[in-house]
Amino acid sequence: MGQHWRGEVDGDQVAWSGRLSAVPSGPQRVLAGGPAPADQQAGDLADELLQAVGRGDEQAFARLYDVVAPRVYGLARRILRDPAHAEEVAQEVLVEVWRSATRFNPAKGSATSWIFTIAHRRAVDRARSEQAGAARARRVAAGAGQTPYDDVVEQATANLEQQQVRRCLQGLTDLQREAITLAYYGGYTYREVAELLGTALPTVKTRMRDGLIRMRDCLGVSLG
Amino acid sequence: MSTEIHALAGAYALDAVDDVERMAFARHLTGCEACRLEVAELRATAARLADTTWTAAPPRLRENVLRQAARTRQARPRSPGSPAGPAPSDRPGRWRGRVAAGIAAAALAAGAAGATFVVEERRVGSQRQAAQSALDQVSRIQSVMAAADAKARQIRVKGGGQVAVVYSRRTDAAVVMCADLARPSRDRAYQLWYVRDGQATSAGVLAGGQNAGTMLLPGLHGVEAVAISLEAAGGADRPTSRLATVPLA
Repeated sequence: MGQHWRGEVDGDQVAWSGRLSAVPSGPQRVLAGGPAPADQQAGDLADELLQAVGRGDEQAFARLYDVVAPRVYGLARRILRDPAHAEEVAQEVLVEVWRSATRFNPAKGSATSWIFTIAHRRAVDRARSEQAGAARARRVAAGAGQTPYDDVVEQATANLEQQQVRRCLQGLTDLQREAITLAYYGGYTYREVAELLGTALPTVKTRMRDGLIRMRDCLGVSLG
Repeated sequence: MSTEIHALAGAYALDAVDDVERMAFARHLTGCEACRLEVAELRATAARLADTTWTAAPPRLRENVLRQAARTRQARPRSPGSPAGPAPSDRPGRWRGRVAAGIAAAALAAGAAGATFVVEERRVGSQRQAAQSALDQVSRIQSVMAAADAKARQIRVKGGGQVAVVYSRRTDAAVVMCADLARPSRDRAYQLWYVRDGQATSAGVLAGGQNAGTMLLPGLHGVEAVAISLEAAGGADRPTSRLATVPLA
């Protein structure tokens, strides 16, 4: 498996644009108080909160925390496994959300997508720097990425969005699903995934792409 | 669209590529509008996968985050006329910068004169006391990466691995990244060279036994290529081999 070097500026210049068409921008809602948002409104709520945070609104940030922290922490926990590391990463990510919320542009994408993209990259970077070398090699060799989440209790209240994601994942071929989940939840590179699955590199690359495309269509993600 | 590189779109959206591939792919995207849309959609799709990870966080996390945020100055908004920026995770932003700064500080402390090697094995998390000089190095690296005239080249290295060079004549510097090189014994080290008029002068040397790293090469006047060789640890006065030569236009 490849040697990684992490934590370096990498010159990515990808404009991150578009928004989820499935989340139409509704009328302005009052941000404070009120009942918990329905699933289909959660994305909109996060968008509005993040914009308010971008104007320096600390109360909006506290509310945004409540909306996204369980997923930011959960994602870090899933990837890093170590609760203390996950907590550190979640804190860094969430403070970074506060710091750079001034630059969030809702015309270019949803708040949750923006936040979880940061969170995923950060957790993966941390995993690769923490687990470089022998320990990580063993973990890869043992296929630990497929170990079910043992000691963390996911919140039982699976909402519609979760169910939709799970359903769409089930709609993939086994190889597509394994490749995508090992990469996303395991933090593995496609080379490691190929090794774990005993599959040729080009096949893994292709399955990741066509699997995500199928997921995109199933979830109704469209930015065009 | 180059189909070979574009096959990485899925892996890229899943953060399942190494840094050299990420950079190469990002360069690919700058020239391909359709690819950018596809990747943006695949990234948004990947982000939905976080929906299944709901986990109750320790209550102290909330307190810590809110307290730290209250002490943290927000970034200045981009000016309205500026072009759309890349996603925060793709930008050498604060935490990325801090990580790089930590490593750069360590490298500077180790005495790498005029060159900053970034070494993966260093525990970046413990290096937050980055010196201002290191931050300057990082901002140099970032300015090269972000320069409008930046060009990227990637070449396979004899013996294994690859070297990627991003250089900008306008900022008069290059950033060289090596990954997956064949691991040398501890008494051997990879060394980088400026090539001017066919003559090589040392641009810096990796630690003995090290097989990956990043460095800033300031001063490109007259430099026609950057080369890498394997030498005795500590480096040589002139290259005894050429494992890869990256021409700069």
